[in-house]
Amino acid sequence: MPSDHEKDAYPQPPRQTPVVDKQTALPNPAVILSKLFYYSVDVPVTTFRDAVDSIRSKNRPVFYHQKFRRVPDLTECEHGDYLCYYEAEMQWRRDYKVDQEILKVVQERMRACQQREGPSYQQNCAPEIKQFNEVTHSYGSRYGDLGAYASGRKCLMKQKERMMAAQAQSV
Amino acid sequence: MVGMSVLRSAASLAARLSPLKSGNNVANLLTRTIPRTDKVAVRWGHGKKMFLIQPTAFYDQRFLRLLRYYALLTGIPVAIIVTTVNIFVGEAELVETPEDYEPEYWEYYKHPITRWITRTFYDSPVKDYEKMMAAIQIEKEKADMRLTQLEVRRQMRTKGDGPWFHVETLNKELIDNSPKSSPDH
Repeated sequence: MPSDHEKDAYPQPPRQTPVVDKQTALPNPAVILSKLFYYSVDVPVTTFRDAVDSIRSKNRPVFYHQKFRRVPDLTECEHGDYLCYYEAEMQWRRDYKVDQEILKVVQERMRACQQREGPSYQQNCAPEIKQFNEVTHSYGSRYGDLGAYASGRKCLMKQKERMMAAQAQSV
Repeated sequence: MVGMSVLRSAASLAARLSPLKSGNNVANLLTRTIPRTDKVAVRWGHGKKMFLIQPTAFYDQRFLRLLRYYALLTGIPVAIIVTTVNIFVGEAELVETPEDYEPEYWEYYKHPITRWITRTFYDSPVKDYEKMMAAIQIEKEKADMRLTQLEVRRQMRTKGDGPWFHVETLNKELIDNSPKSSPDH
């Protein structure tokens, strides 16, 4: 079973539930329902999870994060050096995947913020929304219309076009 | 009129073939009705309806029975295996790579079944990378050799001082020089 997400990644604002100040003798139905839910659903699920975890903790495998070495880029390869081309292409593909995951993380942050804030998300989550817009814009300008057969060469040519357009505009 | 005679001859034929059957007289043959099988003359008084007539469900039920059987034949063992693996050997947890330890290629995956599959059936991605690089190297060398061969052909053909493009000349001892040895013969 997967562990819960990191609590620091999407920080919640401090809770503002008021202190209970009961002034009647009548039972509170919300308390009754919450206790009912706790004993019928929460306790069995938690005990099952603890039992399974105690079985699993005896022989628990571990996994590592693979780090790849940086190799020379496509711009630093000699002409006709096909091995260098291949290594640069593989590195570009790994970087493409990493950029997609970065975009997903930023999008997830914005969605979590919107879910938390409710109707007033547009003013309370302005930094997350701004970051998401920036990241999406830069991702689109870098990898935008490359298509399914995208490669490092096509991305480099797109960058060249961008630089040419920027230079033509600045002149 | 002709139809009447045809019918009468059919009736006489039917009567001749099986005269004792009750419906084969002339009068009965022409006017008898076709017996309906769905409106059987079942006479029930005030009891429970015991004879329920419905189309056969045998083939449908057989299909569903066989479908369940063959689906569960491998489905149940797979479900048991996956459940036991998930309960007794859980998913891996992410740790920092310790110094001077090179993890095996299957130690980069989380679920134990994925790890087993990559360990048993697949080559390590480093090996695949190196195989691809070897193939590229071989192709590059082939292409370079073909280009150099073309260049060498061109040079030897134009300059003529190499071992290729020799044309076999005649044996000089076969030349008859006798007409040239005496001038103005």
